Amino acid sequence: MANLSSLQATLQNYISSTPGIQGAAVVTPDGLPLASALPVGMDEERTSAMSAAMLALGERIGKELGRGTMERVFVQGEKGYGVLTRCGPEAVLLTIASDEVKQGLLFLEMKRAAASIAEAMK
Amino acid sequence: MAIKPLELLQVLISRTEFTDEDKKILQQNADWGSSIAAEMSDTFYNYLDRDPEMAAVIAKHNRQRLGQTFAEWFREMFTGMDNWGPQYAERRWKIGLVHVRVGIGPQHVVPAMATVVREVSRRLVKEGKPEELRVSLGKVCMIDLSFIEQAYLEVAYNAVQQETGMSEALFKRLIATGASSLASS
Repeated sequence: MANLSSLQATLQNYISSTPGIQGAAVVTPDGLPLASALPVGMDEERTSAMSAAMLALGERIGKELGRGTMERVFVQGEKGYGVLTRCGPEAVLLTIASDEVKQGLLFLEMKRAAASIAEAMK
Repeated sequence: MAIKPLELLQVLISRTEFTDEDKKILQQNADWGSSIAAEMSDTFYNYLDRDPEMAAVIAKHNRQRLGQTFAEWFREMFTGMDNWGPQYAERRWKIGLVHVRVGIGPQHVVPAMATVVREVSRRLVKEGKPEELRVSLGKVCMIDLSFIEQAYLEVAYNAVQQETGMSEALFKRLIATGASSLASS
């Protein structure tokens, strides 16, 4: 069973230590929020359900297109990025970043955070 | 979503308060039901024929066969097949799936069935049948219509889940959050 306060702390640390990250959330593959620090006005329930759905669809498309194991689902808009990655079988990490974020750094920190979250979920 | 037809039937029997007395009344009038089955089938399909959209759907299929299937279904509402047991449930489920395959949706079936219910009611009065029979027939009719509606949902859910890789719980959550969003917009 995941330690929710530990998850929240991991999430806060991830956000504060990575320039350009505006928010993040950890959700279950069924779309339930576990921990979140989302921008004001963003609906946690809806965002969680949509994140899980998007990751599931991304994995399905990756498989259909023969792209191998999926690393992340990446959405790029004029105001920045939304990135989803799996943290083991029990969790999904959503990251929201500004358009000024350094992508290499973002992906590196995201990978580290995902590993910590996966560990915390054991 | 894995629907178990017998479980669905039992839930619907409970929710419609379809009692042993209802079953008995229907079975006692099974011959009468059989005698008007073909006529009710015509009522159903004549109604659908007047709807251009449905007429186009039906035209793609063997009308005689569809009519026979309806008449059998109508008779079975009176006999209950195996006293509204597993056989009845499986048959209702398959009929629901056939409706999905043919393309006759709840929005077409329910109004068409309403015309059948009206016609049956007229016949019941004309032939001096008891009010209890009308009530019992109304209950079993609602049970069968629920099967058809549920079959539509089931096929739609399964198709989306299969193509998107979403779990059942996630799919239901999206429907709930989406419905909430639609209601507030």
